[in-house]
Amino acid sequence: MAVRPAEIAVPAGARPRAGTWSVLWRFARKKPLGAAGGALILAMLLTAVFAEFLQTHDPIATDAAYTLGAPTAEHWLGTDHLGRDIYSRIVHGARVSLIVGVASTLMGSVLGGIIGLLSGYIGGKTDLVTQRVLDILQGLPLLVLALVMSAALGPALHNVIIAISIPIIPRAARVIRSSVLSIREMQYVEAARALGVRHLRIAFRHILPNTMGPFIVLCTAQLGSAILVEATLSFLGLGVPEPYPSWGRMLSVSAAEYAQKAPHLVLFPGVAISLAVFGSNLLGDALRDTLDPRLRGAG
Amino acid sequence: MSRVRFALCSTVVIVLGAVTLIAPATSQTPPTSPTPQPSQTPQASQTPQASQTPQASQTPKSGGVLNMMLREDLSQGFAIHETSTISSVWPVMPCLSNLVLFDPLKKTESVDTIIGELAEKWSWQDNYRNLVFFLRKGVKWHDGQPFTSKDVKFTFDVLREAADAPAKLRINPRKDWYANVEAIETPDTHTAVFRLKKPQPSLLLMLASGYTPVYAAHLSPANYRTTCVGTGPFKLKEWRKGEYVEFVKNPDYFVKGRPYLAGLKYFVIVERGTRQAAMQAGKLDVTFPGETTKTAAEQLKKAVPQLVVTPYSQNVTDNIIMNVKKPPFDNPKIRLAVSHAIDRRALIQAVHQGGAVVGAALAPKPWGFWGLAEKDLVGLPGYGAKPADEKALARKLMAEAGFSPEKPIKVEIVTRAIAIYVDMASFVINELKQIGIDATLKQIETAQWHATATRGDYQIGANLTGIGPDDPDANYYENYACGSPRNYSQYCNEEVMKMFDAQSQELDPKKRLALNVAIQKKLEADAARPILDWKIDFFTVWPHVKNLIPHQSIYNFGRMQEVWSDK
Amino acid sequence: MKTYVAQRLVIALLTLLGMSMVIFTLLRLAPGDIVDILFSTAGFVSPSEKQAIMKELGIDRPYWVQYLDWLRQIVTGDLGKSYRYDQPAWQIIRPLVPVTLELAALSTLFAVLIGVPAGVVSAVRQDTTLDYVLRVFSLAGLSMPAFWLGMVIILGLVTWFAWIPPLTYVGPTEDFKLHAVQFLLPALAVGYRSSALIMRITRSSLLEVMREDYIRTAWAKGQTERVVIWRHALKNALLPVVTVIGIEFAFLIGGLVVTETVFNLPGVARFLVQAILWRDYPIVQNLVMFIAIVVILSNLLVDMLYGVLDPRVRYGG
Repeated sequence: MAVRPAEIAVPAGARPRAGTWSVLWRFARKKPLGAAGGALILAMLLTAVFAEFLQTHDPIATDAAYTLGAPTAEHWLGTDHLGRDIYSRIVHGARVSLIVGVASTLMGSVLGGIIGLLSGYIGGKTDLVTQRVLDILQGLPLLVLALVMSAALGPALHNVIIAISIPIIPRAARVIRSSVLSIREMQYVEAARALGVRHLRIAFRHILPNTMGPFIVLCTAQLGSAILVEATLSFLGLGVPEPYPSWGRMLSVSAAEYAQKAPHLVLFPGVAISLAVFGSNLLGDALRDTLDPRLRGAG
Repeated sequence: MSRVRFALCSTVVIVLGAVTLIAPATSQTPPTSPTPQPSQTPQASQTPQASQTPQASQTPKSGGVLNMMLREDLSQGFAIHETSTISSVWPVMPCLSNLVLFDPLKKTESVDTIIGELAEKWSWQDNYRNLVFFLRKGVKWHDGQPFTSKDVKFTFDVLREAADAPAKLRINPRKDWYANVEAIETPDTHTAVFRLKKPQPSLLLMLASGYTPVYAAHLSPANYRTTCVGTGPFKLKEWRKGEYVEFVKNPDYFVKGRPYLAGLKYFVIVERGTRQAAMQAGKLDVTFPGETTKTAAEQLKKAVPQLVVTPYSQNVTDNIIMNVKKPPFDNPKIRLAVSHAIDRRALIQAVHQGGAVVGAALAPKPWGFWGLAEKDLVGLPGYGAKPADEKALARKLMAEAGFSPEKPIKVEIVTRAIAIYVDMASFVINELKQIGIDATLKQIETAQWHATATRGDYQIGANLTGIGPDDPDANYYENYACGSPRNYSQYCNEEVMKMFDAQSQELDPKKRLALNVAIQKKLEADAARPILDWKIDFFTVWPHVKNLIPHQSIYNFGRMQEVWSDK
Repeated sequence: MKTYVAQRLVIALLTLLGMSMVIFTLLRLAPGDIVDILFSTAGFVSPSEKQAIMKELGIDRPYWVQYLDWLRQIVTGDLGKSYRYDQPAWQIIRPLVPVTLELAALSTLFAVLIGVPAGVVSAVRQDTTLDYVLRVFSLAGLSMPAFWLGMVIILGLVTWFAWIPPLTYVGPTEDFKLHAVQFLLPALAVGYRSSALIMRITRSSLLEVMREDYIRTAWAKGQTERVVIWRHALKNALLPVVTVIGIEFAFLIGGLVVTETVFNLPGVARFLVQAILWRDYPIVQNLVMFIAIVVILSNLLVDMLYGVLDPRVRYGG
């Protein structure tokens, strides 16, 4: 009972408003895990947007009198080695992780998608060359490439976004390209060509909307990946710099040093990261099952 | 069970699982009790007990291997002369020897605690213009070659970059220490004479620092980057890169009956948490100098009450560098405002949890010999008893320059991309905000830091400075002299330079002390490089480790020749 | 088959060449070089000394000269000298390789041991509570940061068993028990994460195969579940799993970097991070090329294996 891609790809306005809600409701009932994942992501989104309202303290305000405090009524998740409130830092950390995760995923997926679209549609030599170039980028493990890029660009928020989006490009291009290859041969495309429609128009008007399914799946899958890489880079000291509170950086130096006295330093940011990635993975899985059952086997 | 409910349950289970891990642990840790603020005079409990000085009652035992830690791998192997970091000095001192060294058993270093190593006797002549060393006979390098005065001449000619020096160091950070040496003569194989241009009593103290070992003349200095051939109490056994450095006892050491220990092993452990845990478990016997904060020491002591903790001043400062050649810090009023604005004592609480002390350009008493005492500091910017008054004064100065908290000036504060620096900078940013300076933090990667600072590519920075011996000459010429590469603020005051030279040549200790007090006050008043604090290290050892006494400088007590293990 | 292999080899070589250019350029883009770092350990900078060292190390030459020099060195088998340690790069890397290889192999073993049975059970008991539990369990592994899992494990061991990781590498011949403990824990941590993907592929692949006609025929014929699954379905279902195992092995590197750091294992991955921070060009370049070669080789191997195992697949599509 999979929902066909065409149903979702139809331009907005063709369906009555109420349909969107019933689609979502059916989705939630069919794929409870996916719905749970979506809820987690939504919670993270809301936390990021309303961080200022959700925080209990200023996330960068230090308090020398109350360092490494255990969770209490005043500091819900305790304090770190400088006396900063961990709960507030985690709430603001959502903002950083989300910005980095979403921005790098979108940047990488869109760029990669366009490359994949053009490469798959034009075919021939262009495709061959593009494929090899993408192979090169993909041949290096994600973390290693992000590491070197991060070192090359320096510690800054926009640099981290760029560093993480680069490895995503070839992966996105791959997925979109294979999707394009299969759609290219379909009848309605042949019909459009026979009617004399220009190639670019075919590419963007007919093929692109039908790759939306795989694209969405790709984005949600890569989002989790991007959040993890950002956390790892921050842990290794190459990620987002102060004063932005980053979940990954909260887990580095200070956490390890004081872990025994204050285990909550280690546990809470890690749980936050895990929940965010978990949610994105759940949602991505469910979307994939729904939108394109053919992709179920592909990792 | 309905699927939706099950899905929610599984998520909750994961979170609960993680929480159960911490619940028992966190319920036991009480919050750190607030420490009273202004009292920075070290309490009697902090000053090392009398029992720390050599136990005359116990006879040292021979044997045993001491397990120690390194926070990073050796950066340039055993080439002490090409580096300036404790990571190089601490694990390398055991295999080398100096002409003279500060007595390892005396915690306060001064000219009176200097003992001879390769030099048996020495004497100043011609009113501190010539320093004659009578060298020990029968000393052999670890590779069997005999030690002679040739090695002394070689080492110090290379260090001072003499025109006819037989070799050259790739990097020579302490060239300025020997700027006053005119020539080194070797009248015979066991005598060496340092001829100085001007009298300089400090030279002896600089030679007694861990930074001044003697290299072998028959080896190229580049050799020391890969292996260590010295005359020290321990011979290099193995250096497994990234893992450990191992030494064994030198049976031919020139001091009979030393060293007591059979070997030393320095483990490279980058992770702070692992270092702590290993120390706690007894896998390591000694902490790394400068790496144990007050909180960490408390944690260790709580877990293992019999550990011996000795607080001491590391001879390392946190300070603020301001580029006096670039606006806005070319304006001395603004510099002074910055110094007034930063509440030193609050910083010590916030960033070091009380594990540091206030002081000016030289280590303050009673931790150091030349520094200002608390009462002398009170009049200086930033050390006033009432921080609010200080900030008001700062705001007044800023107003004279045309700025206020409502109309702030925007600057960029740079610091190294390491947690402790960032914490310090974050605190400073907060302080400056209150007087009308809006600072944003820019982190500089280690690879870039010194280049950036030396180039003057910054406005204001949060910096850390370590000085070899507690000696004015070693400090002033490096950090405050006109044209010194490490004078990052590019502060240059001819009058102060004259004061430096005057105290360097002053032979009367009382007069010299007075001159230094005046210099320190002037430097702080000029806001040349406002000192934020002097860091205290809480050196921790297991009780079976004897005779390892920290000095008022981390760079000078790593020889290990008197240390023995009571196991 | 021969042209298939030959074509793939040529492409692999070209890809490696491209990678070498990428890594060479990226490294040079990074601000600061070894000389800056050497000076930072010395605490100051001297422009004249800097020039001299750059000349000594050969990094004052134009980039393309350095690049060609590097290629020439690789071809002649010379891995160059480490800028930091002043010793031949191979001498420094050699003791690290067995550590990482052993960790990677053990992790993959664990990944398979955990992932395949979990996938099979999950597929056979599809949509039951057990299926959901296993899927959540495996997905949780994929969601946790690798370094965090390591930190939590160590924290738990320290708090409850007063255990810390051995301070140095203990070889299997020195003390097998200690060696086993030293490697099992990180291998488990990394393996758990890798197992997630393997479990999912196994599950979905088995599900697809179970829908095939010949399986349904077997059911109809009244065969027991065990025979149907083990003898018929699994064999064919494992094909894509093998592919994924091969790819996962190569991608372990990412997880190994942090795991080696957290568990204090002297492996290649941890050393790579240090080398990057030190701008030790020879080490970084050669290590990354080494990783790239491993990745490409394993992809090649997997492709060929696939070609051998599944007669339906041949290059040309």
